Amino acid sequence: MTENRQGERQFAIVGGGPAGLTAAYELTKFGHRPIVFEKLDTVGGLARTANYKGFHFDMGGHRFFTKVPEVQKMWQEVLHDDFLRRPRLSRIYYQGRFFHYPLKPFNALGGLGVIQSILVVLSYLRWQLFPYRSEDTFEQWVTNRFGRRLFLTFFKTYTEKVWGIPCSTLKAEWAAQRIKDLSLKSAVLNMFFKPRRTIKTLIEEFDYPRLGPGMMWNAVKQEIERRNGSVQLRSDVLRIHRTGSRIDSLVVRCDGEERTVTATDFISSMPITEFIKKLDPPAPPEILESASRLTYRDFLTVCLIVNQPDPFPDNWIYIHSPEVKVGRIQNFKSWSPAMVPDPTKSSLGLEYFCTEGDETWTMPDADLIALGTQEVERIGLARQADVEDGCVVRVDKAYPVYDSDYREHLDRVRGYVGGFTNFQTIGRNGLHRYNNQDHAMLTGMLAVRNAVLAETNDLWSVNTDQEYHEEIRAETGVERHDLEQLLQTAVRQAFAKLDRVALGLSIGSTAGVLLFLATLVLVLKGGDVVGPRLGLLSQFFPGYAVTSAGALLGLLYGFIVGFVGGWFVAALRNAALFLYLAVSQHRAERQILRRLLEYF
Amino acid sequence: MAAEPKLEEIVFTRVLRLNAMVQGIVVGLLAGTLIFIATNWLVLKGGPVVGPHLSLLNQFFIGYQVSFRGSLIGFAYGSVLGFVIGYVIAAVYNLAAGARERRRTPRA
Repeated sequence: MTENRQGERQFAIVGGGPAGLTAAYELTKFGHRPIVFEKLDTVGGLARTANYKGFHFDMGGHRFFTKVPEVQKMWQEVLHDDFLRRPRLSRIYYQGRFFHYPLKPFNALGGLGVIQSILVVLSYLRWQLFPYRSEDTFEQWVTNRFGRRLFLTFFKTYTEKVWGIPCSTLKAEWAAQRIKDLSLKSAVLNMFFKPRRTIKTLIEEFDYPRLGPGMMWNAVKQEIERRNGSVQLRSDVLRIHRTGSRIDSLVVRCDGEERTVTATDFISSMPITEFIKKLDPPAPPEILESASRLTYRDFLTVCLIVNQPDPFPDNWIYIHSPEVKVGRIQNFKSWSPAMVPDPTKSSLGLEYFCTEGDETWTMPDADLIALGTQEVERIGLARQADVEDGCVVRVDKAYPVYDSDYREHLDRVRGYVGGFTNFQTIGRNGLHRYNNQDHAMLTGMLAVRNAVLAETNDLWSVNTDQEYHEEIRAETGVERHDLEQLLQTAVRQAFAKLDRVALGLSIGSTAGVLLFLATLVLVLKGGDVVGPRLGLLSQFFPGYAVTSAGALLGLLYGFIVGFVGGWFVAALRNAALFLYLAVSQHRAERQILRRLLEYF
Repeated sequence: MAAEPKLEEIVFTRVLRLNAMVQGIVVGLLAGTLIFIATNWLVLKGGPVVGPHLSLLNQFFIGYQVSFRGSLIGFAYGSVLGFVIGYVIAAVYNLAAGARERRRTPRA
């Protein structure tokens, strides 16, 4: 079957997650009638909400908190009053104790006890004095910044649960990448624009749809369909036909039936690796090879219905304790009371990080529910007897893996995909990038502007780095392009070094000339005793006198002293600048490390 | 699209240029204010001989004396001289820094 309408641009969108649906939603605003193909039987992608016996389970827990005004606007216009403002409480569970998260130094030390706290401080000092010389692994990288004891307590076990490999083999690049460019930029931006308290407030509480993110994405689907767009569920894209650098059509299987869909423009949020593999004729071998080297980490959620109204107050808890396999536990009633249809009960989501096809992923649902039930009692959050029912939801390709050579392969794939004239890839997996929901949506919005308004937005540059720009834009109203210019200028002005020799020359010559002129003035004025006070300089400048010859010697002395002074002033100023930058970088790194787990 | 230079690269490789006018004004105001305050401080302290050493400035600043009126004259002198010194230092620095940068940068 071939679908197309004459004389109209037809947009085909692959993926019904936040990015794909946002793109379709935006297209309908421009009067287009896009078709969205979603392979699952529900919309929302990685931000979908599962429904089991009237209980709503948010896959991963999605706060609706953004600094992107366009995204905030869309959320409001779609859900209006269906947003709840919810307080945030999240903690870390480790060795039978709970610690506030983001980490608060005194709470963390208090929870560890006096002896452990002293050891933590000593460990911190030891690693500040004698750090690892190279920072190749995540373990080395964090230890150098927090000390080994804090690394073992707050980073090691959880990180290993998420990635499934020891921290000693996990490359530091993943964490470092989030910080590398961010810290210095943040230092500069913070120098010029101080964010207001509202930012902090928004982190302490967040908006949330009454029935979870799925409510948002179902509403967006309905709105797209109301405006004559189409969202087709259970529609798996099998092949993507191309002619050279142009996509012609998609082969879609829906309910066992295959059909060919032609369009003029294609936008896809499917994993970039799958896009490459589904091309027909196939992509060049080196591109296929690179695509195959990009990998993902997956997770599954064991959803439990608990016969207990309020098991704990947190929205979610990070489970660092190595004696259990569960990585994070969501308490959906704390996200929104409406997620639970019976107020005498509650619902928990136990998240197990795994890799598609591994032992955990393939474990039967009944075994997983039994495992979850045991572990939730072991942690002390609920009794086994109170768990009355459950289900399992598997989420594949939840986290693009940033391994040591992913960048090289991604750049190659990106270059190839960028060559297509009527195709754009968007979303977290489309760009193989840690975009949160709001940034995934932004890529959808920008892709539409590129296609419809012929703008040239770089979708690959949309990521958390941009948060600072957005924060400032929200605060000042300065547009992104202007902000870039402003930032560049500010950076050049504020962080360029003083040329030591040039400053020495300028101050030296000025000082020399001043002393020369001062001496000459006094010589020309004459008198019984010429320049008795200025003549005292001879105490420091041997041979100097308030005479014509002394003026020349003064010129030389003034130049030498001025040069040395200027040289040192410049050197000290540069050293102070570098020290400031180093401290700023260190501070920014630790700020991000305090919230590092949120990036998982 | 050219990649945005890293901040570290900017810090380590780019040389700051000074705004001569701004530096002149800053140094001028600083010098003028210093003389103004120093003069009035001595005037307020009083004594049999008021500010014998500071008054030596009248060797260069004609009409200056350690009095309130002199502090205004000193402010004017200090501002002008400070402006000239600040401006010249910045201008010479920019010239020298530019010349050194050109020497370091190979011609295309």
